Amino acid sequence: MDAAEHKAPNYIAVWVGLAVLTVVEVAVVYLHLPRRLMVVALVFLALWKAMLVALYFMHLRFEPKRLLYVVLAPLPLAVILVVGVMHGFRGP
Amino acid sequence: MTAAGTALPGHTHVDDRSLIRKYVFSTDHKIIGIQFLFLSLFFLLVGGLLAMGIRWQLGFPGQAMPLGGWLPEGVAPGGVVSPKTYIGLVTMHGTFMIFFAVMPLLVGVFANYLIPLKIGAPDMAFPRLNMWSFWLMIPSGLLMLASLFVLGGMSVAGWTVYAPLSNSPDYTGVHLGQQLWCLSIVIFGASSLLGSVNYITTVINLRAPGMTWFRLPLSVWALFITAVLAILAVPVLAGAVIMLFFDQTIGTHFYLPAAGGQPLMWQHLFWFFGHPEVYILILPAMGIASDVIANGARKPIFGYTSMVWAMIGIAFLGFIVWGHHMFQSGMNPTLASAFMVSTIVIAVPSAIKVFNWLGTMWRGSIHFTTPMLNAIAFVSMFIIGGLSGIFMASTPVDMYIHGTYFIVAHIHYVLFGGSLFAIYAGIYFWFPKMFGKQLDERLGKVHFALTFVFYNLTFFPMHILGLGGEMRRIYDPTVYDYLRPMQPINVFITVSAFLLFASQLLMAWNIVRTLVRGKKAEINPWHDCGLEWTVPSPPPHGNFETTPTVYHGPYEFSVPGAAQDYIPVNQPLPAVPEGRR
Amino acid sequence: MTAHAMAHGAAGGEHAQGAVGVHTQKLGMWVFLVSEVMFFTALIGSYIILRWGTNAEWPEPRTVLAIPVTALNTFILICSSVSMVKAYAAAVRDDQAGLKRWLLLTVLGGATFVSVQAFEYHHLIEKGFLPSSGLFGATFYTMTGFHGFHVTCGVLSMIWVTIRAFRGKYAGGRFQGIETIGLYWHFVDLVWIILFTIVYLI
Repeated sequence: MDAAEHKAPNYIAVWVGLAVLTVVEVAVVYLHLPRRLMVVALVFLALWKAMLVALYFMHLRFEPKRLLYVVLAPLPLAVILVVGVMHGFRGP
Repeated sequence: MTAAGTALPGHTHVDDRSLIRKYVFSTDHKIIGIQFLFLSLFFLLVGGLLAMGIRWQLGFPGQAMPLGGWLPEGVAPGGVVSPKTYIGLVTMHGTFMIFFAVMPLLVGVFANYLIPLKIGAPDMAFPRLNMWSFWLMIPSGLLMLASLFVLGGMSVAGWTVYAPLSNSPDYTGVHLGQQLWCLSIVIFGASSLLGSVNYITTVINLRAPGMTWFRLPLSVWALFITAVLAILAVPVLAGAVIMLFFDQTIGTHFYLPAAGGQPLMWQHLFWFFGHPEVYILILPAMGIASDVIANGARKPIFGYTSMVWAMIGIAFLGFIVWGHHMFQSGMNPTLASAFMVSTIVIAVPSAIKVFNWLGTMWRGSIHFTTPMLNAIAFVSMFIIGGLSGIFMASTPVDMYIHGTYFIVAHIHYVLFGGSLFAIYAGIYFWFPKMFGKQLDERLGKVHFALTFVFYNLTFFPMHILGLGGEMRRIYDPTVYDYLRPMQPINVFITVSAFLLFASQLLMAWNIVRTLVRGKKAEINPWHDCGLEWTVPSPPPHGNFETTPTVYHGPYEFSVPGAAQDYIPVNQPLPAVPEGRR
Repeated sequence: MTAHAMAHGAAGGEHAQGAVGVHTQKLGMWVFLVSEVMFFTALIGSYIILRWGTNAEWPEPRTVLAIPVTALNTFILICSSVSMVKAYAAAVRDDQAGLKRWLLLTVLGGATFVSVQAFEYHHLIEKGFLPSSGLFGATFYTMTGFHGFHVTCGVLSMIWVTIRAFRGKYAGGRFQGIETIGLYWHFVDLVWIILFTIVYLI
């Protein structure tokens, strides 16, 4: 099946990466950076962690492209919902 | 591990399960589809009765309703529904019709029944999940029915349950009724999602050899796209309703302004679901209409490919128009303009479909059977509903007509004139396959004619009422000086509505009589090309003796040089000049 | 492909023309997860809208919530995702002992996460931080509560899968079920990664 068609990723390496990113996240909070920079850094770190889980643990890096399209489908909608409603509340 | 009685692909199975497993807790998609049919027809009746209550009050305000004396004094003093009860009737009519009648009739019945048969599969991808999808409707329906009778009364916030009305029990007096509504809808959402996972996975993975995407019947395309809409939209409703429920029960204030909550956020979340929801309510109807019209005209669907892309376009655009339900909410005008543009644009793919249906019938050999009559009515009534929609799309016009009977006319033209006529077409068309007996044609035509006439007499005048300024959901139009002159129209509508309701009993009678002593139907009474017509009526468990092979598209009618005027998809085309698929 | 795998509807799966190219159970789980993304979008989106789209008052999360404990809990959940992945790898190479071991560790990790969350809730409630404590309380409990509910369902399912593993149901190449539940488990971890950052840290 698909599992045999590529070399299994180094799960321990991914795990270490996730652990390190978590530590960095918590450190960023206590670094007392300017608010905007802190938010950008934290969002970036969280998305990086999420990508690692999705691509390696959930195997998306090795799946057929079409599955990726299925999985990505809700993301633009999520953005539209939040941005659209924020726009409604805050204005242009 | 396969459950006992579940067929392996390509094999029909001797069915040795107990009666309970075979007909009650069945995992067979056909039985589940039929279970949905009877459940939703029941709720169609409930919704219809509630509508009769609404129409009585509007036509004869202040007069005791027939059988009104049976209602408790608190609900209907002297047999006249109180204002609170009236708005409850309005709320529950919408709720039952949308969630428990039209959605299950279009999706629960036709997606379940047709998809595996039409794609050449033995059953759905996840038969046990499918069973759960049906059985979750039972507690959901029971909770919703229970909410009609609880202390404090049923929900009074409209089917759209806007906050803060819906989470202010101190104001409305409704406590449990609204909470039960919320719980019922969340369970309904779970049922809908389980079904949609099944439909999507089945269509993607379980198509028979040769059944490529662009050979799928349009009914299957429509149901597939509808399932995708449901997967993406229903969870948002669930989240919003859960937050509403928490506002009512554990003291949160998501939508209560006093503690910083945002009622407008409810509207945004609800309509983000609500608009794709209305496309869920119409797309399967469009798919059914396409199948029936091609069959009835003995012609391939005109512009099959554009039909598919139009449905995809409608689905996609359907996610970015939700604000047009909120033009009067005081929303940001820039945002409103964006929604106005996207809403006007969505008329384009819908129009493409309408022209394609007309193109299909043009110079066809039209057989005016009951399904065909209902399908043609679908197209013409949908046109009217669509045209009124264009008025609403324009924000400045909507400022005047929002919340009036013009909107009520629009929704009933698309939901009844559109969805329900298509549902009727589907029922008359696939009934012989489901039950092995064909509904009486003459009775069907009389039912159609009466329904069509009384339906238009009921709902067309609502356009006039709306433009004249009659608001939705009001209890007694005659208290307003400027509405009193239009009251005769309300009376006219009420009488037409009663006759419309009575006419539906003809179909109920037709169904009962046919089931009890109808004559056996032939295997393919409509001479259709679909795979479902190649198996016995009703099909055996597992559907196909051997997995069929599909050779061509689904609408090969009137092919030059062919022996008959239709070629089933599992038969190769006769030798014809190059260029035909 | 074994007859058993065929019976699970995998027949016509990868072979159906124009299919997505994954077996049916996995495709079904991914479709379900897409709906879960939209569900959490409604909850998390509402939080974002209420906190940054309006003028609502909002305390600094770290003044109310225990960041160090939750950071550790985040790490525990991530570890349970690793053990899940190891369990799947064991199933693929038919290492039944390894499969059972890693599944048990996954159950342990998940159960620990839920317990720590429950303990945190208890602590917060005692401090007087309730769902009715302003919009922060409402959004916090709703988002983390539903996440916790999803983890709990995951743990219960994982226990059931572990029992089946002990009964040899995933031996001999029948490892698809492990992959399927693994997807759900990683998804729950992924949602937490997002939640931890935007609810606790920002």
